[in-house]
Amino acid sequence: MTTTPDPATAAQAVFVESAEHAGPGEAPEPQQQGKQKSHGQFADMWRRFRRNRLAMAGLVVVVILIVLALLQPVISPYDPYDQNLLNTLASPGGDHLMGTDALGRDLFSGLLYGLRLALLVGLLTMLGSMTLGVTLGALAGYRGKIADGLVMRTTDIFLAFPFLIGAILVVRTFGTGVFQVIIALVILGWPTAARLMRGQILALRESEYVEAARSIGASDWRIVTRHILPNAIQPVFIYSFTSIGVAVVAMASLAYLGVGVPPDTPEWGRMINMGIEQVQVAGKDFLWMFPSAAICLTTLVFAFVADGLRDSLDPKLR
Amino acid sequence: MGKFVIRRLAQAVMVVIAATILLFIGLFVLGDPFASSGDKVVPPETQAILREKFGMDQSLPMQYLTYLGNLVTGDLGIDLNQRRPVADMIGAALPNTARLALIAIIIDVIIGVVAGIIAAVWRYSFWDVLVTIITTLAIGVPTFVIGVWLRQTVSGVWIFPQVPRSFTELAPWYTEVLLPAVTLAIVDAAFIARLMRGSMLEVLRMDYIRTARAKGLGERTVIMKHAFRNSIIPVVTYVGISIGILLGGAIITETLFQYNGVGYLLYRSILQNNNPVIMAIVTFAVLIYVLLSMIVDILYAYLDPRIRLS
Amino acid sequence: MTGSADIDLDGPPAPLLEVRDLRVHFKTDYGTVKAVDGVSWSVNEGETLAIVGESGSGKSVSAMTILGLVPSPPATFPSGDIFLRGRSLLKMPERQQRKLRGSQIAMIFQDPLTALNPVFKVGDQIAEMVRTHQDVSKHTAKKRALDLLGEVGIPNPAVRINQYPHEFSGGMRQRAMIAMALANDPHVLLADEPTTALDVTVQAQIMALLEKLQEDRNTAIVLITHDLGVVASYADRINVMYAGRIVESGTADEIFYSPRHAYTYGLLSSLPRMDQSRQARLQPIKGIPPSLARVPQGCPFHPRCTFATDACLPQVPELMPVDGAGHSAACVHSDRVAIAYDERVTQ
Ligand SMILES: Nc1ncnc2c1ncn2[C@@H]1O[C@H](COP(=O)(O)OP(=O)(O)O)[C@@H](O)[C@H]1O
Ligand code: SF4
Ligand SMILES: [Mg+2]
Repeated sequence: MTTTPDPATAAQAVFVESAEHAGPGEAPEPQQQGKQKSHGQFADMWRRFRRNRLAMAGLVVVVILIVLALLQPVISPYDPYDQNLLNTLASPGGDHLMGTDALGRDLFSGLLYGLRLALLVGLLTMLGSMTLGVTLGALAGYRGKIADGLVMRTTDIFLAFPFLIGAILVVRTFGTGVFQVIIALVILGWPTAARLMRGQILALRESEYVEAARSIGASDWRIVTRHILPNAIQPVFIYSFTSIGVAVVAMASLAYLGVGVPPDTPEWGRMINMGIEQVQVAGKDFLWMFPSAAICLTTLVFAFVADGLRDSLDPKLR
Repeated sequence: MGKFVIRRLAQAVMVVIAATILLFIGLFVLGDPFASSGDKVVPPETQAILREKFGMDQSLPMQYLTYLGNLVTGDLGIDLNQRRPVADMIGAALPNTARLALIAIIIDVIIGVVAGIIAAVWRYSFWDVLVTIITTLAIGVPTFVIGVWLRQTVSGVWIFPQVPRSFTELAPWYTEVLLPAVTLAIVDAAFIARLMRGSMLEVLRMDYIRTARAKGLGERTVIMKHAFRNSIIPVVTYVGISIGILLGGAIITETLFQYNGVGYLLYRSILQNNNPVIMAIVTFAVLIYVLLSMIVDILYAYLDPRIRLS
Repeated sequence: MTGSADIDLDGPPAPLLEVRDLRVHFKTDYGTVKAVDGVSWSVNEGETLAIVGESGSGKSVSAMTILGLVPSPPATFPSGDIFLRGRSLLKMPERQQRKLRGSQIAMIFQDPLTALNPVFKVGDQIAEMVRTHQDVSKHTAKKRALDLLGEVGIPNPAVRINQYPHEFSGGMRQRAMIAMALANDPHVLLADEPTTALDVTVQAQIMALLEKLQEDRNTAIVLITHDLGVVASYADRINVMYAGRIVESGTADEIFYSPRHAYTYGLLSSLPRMDQSRQARLQPIKGIPPSLARVPQGCPFHPRCTFATDACLPQVPELMPVDGAGHSAACVHSDRVAIAYDERVTQ
């Protein structure tokens, strides 16, 4: 080129580019480049997120579910473990809002307990696999060479296990229990987060503003924490919501198969498994329907929030 | 291309070796897979046969090699209950699983690709919105809830065999396979539709699509030739991986519908603490999965010349 | 592949391609983007018309409108028309328009890397162009692709024809694009920033190639660029565009030696030139072009213009003839611009 475009025309070029790609009704918003404070980006995301009604509804339900789970010990009408063999398979209504199961345990109390359990496992799994994945992914992406090779080959190995089968294997190795389930899900979940993070870092590492920071002699630590992480974290943040849903379903699936939590735990997958054994008894479909609905609701609202976040990050992708 | 295949093959072999080491540690080092545990009583003769087969009086490295050797020769020991060869048990279940995987994949590819293309080409239209809503629901609702719901409402109706099954009644395979296949296909079709839509939208705004239009090609050729060949690539990847998972046994779905595949066999073995069978199926699932990932990568390179030739 | 031979014998022959008072507006959330706002020009066989202006001034949209490839919605065409040999392109049914695309009017684009489909062989992509408009066998089309590749100066065409775009260098890719565009001997070639993505030396080669092919075939070329320097020695006429309008139009000599619009003056002042004394410092135009959704009142250039006075504010200056026959400019102070330019050149 005979003329080197100054930054202003470069920004304009980006603007034109994005506008040409915009579909009908889409705003040809100028895309800001590079150096931005992360809170500015999150504020932007939040502004777009709020306009998405489904995502907002999802977020409200997520909050309600979390509050219910926290209050479970207080609002649970019965002890979810309390059996009453004199009042089994009671239909919903009366003393038992959602009826009782084959052991005479209050179904509603069981569902609340299951909610607490599901969110606990979902959140801890998310935190665990994100911490591990983001750290290792960032290390691999930024350091490259040996660190990258090591981390990537390790993810290859872990990703060679189909999710459920891998989880079964880990739980069987470490024994039954909620904690073991979380360990299993973290072991299987971190490689995805690590790869996501690494990809982001690789893209950013060569970007202009990181080069600029490097050229003025900023330390690695400063470059990573100030320049790379804030920009790389968004997709990871979105994925973290998805991963909560994945963990909730995975635990329920394991429990349905009789792996993971002890068999008498009021856990949604267990409850469904026990519920569908009662189909021969007419009119007892509520036994599997309520816990199924609970799982659907939980995973759906988390999916709505994750979808909304994704769209708010990149409106072009809609 | 040849170099690429060889490199990918070597990588797959490495992954398999590493994965089997992990499996070996989990199965043999951290526990005794053939001992009686809890209320599970393993007859001493059975234990003896298996310990012999897996060389369990030897050092750990030797044990690992024995385990690998057994895998390679396809001799996976005997099951703890009736001393049937595990390889035979898997062999009997595998055709059912393969059939299920194949039918599910055919359904979901057709539905997913068509829905994805329609949604992308007529973006923001009624059909696009419909596809978005349905895929959101289908992805948000866990497979096993869909399966439970189909099992509780549709099984036993019309040609669909009753679940739980009475094993005296034999149903033809194509009626047995339908509900599990649909269960598996619903989620995958939704994923494929989304993938296809996103990838098609991305491709449609590429410069070479503009070039194709500037050539005077009809919109149908532009989409079905120029855009399709490029946008199908991620779908191929997804489908390959999905086949890899399904061939290893769709454990939840097969169990729900009591479908006699590898997954259901695994479930029953877990219930019975039948370790040799569990061990074999898990190993098998990993192998299939790694193999399919490798095939997918090679196919990917074939579809995208930019990778093929680098 | 003969053009429309039905030449009107009564009146003067219609220009080969004529754009008349064309407006292309986009309805967006952010208001109406007036990408092209009342543009007229024409071009004849063997001529090269350059359209020059900063990024975002509506050059590509004009070209895409000629090809009928601007999506509508969001685009609307509030006024104007485009005529190919007197036939209206905008009123023509899509099916008929498509027949002209690639056969009578062809286009090459800025970035040859992304303009070729990565999954098809270069030769097949050229052959497809042939077979879309000519009823020939696959074999013949391939043969034609081979000849074309040779003609545009690609060494070893027999090998190249079976390669994929990414195996070509940038310059070779653009040559392949040109081969494809010329496959059906079009009357008009729209070249949208054909050299912008290329190295300087390659730029010159591509321009020379276009010139040679034009001489062989008598093609009309509409050369779109943001770089006035590129067109200097190739264009017969130059239209300078700013904010969706033509602000100055004239022969290459008129534009280069006696600009009459302050924007043209600005473009020339930011251009390194061999033919002028060293002392004239390069002065880039300050500021950035306006968003076409919010074009300033009055002369759209006034916020950036060093000549601007209150006289520039009340209305948009019309394109008016200045000195020579075909030379016109839309500037209130075109006289002052002329004087300032003379001073600058003779400095
Ligand atoms: N499909 C579209 N929707 C909305 N605005 C568009 C669209 N296509 C182009 N534009 C706008 O039209 C204006 C002119 O663009 P363009 O002709 O590409 O400029 P140039 O080629 O001169 O750089 C730009 O502001 C661009 O944002
Ligand atoms: S009309 Fe006025 S503002 Fe516009 S270019 Fe001429 S001098 Fe500048
Ligand atoms: Mg342009």
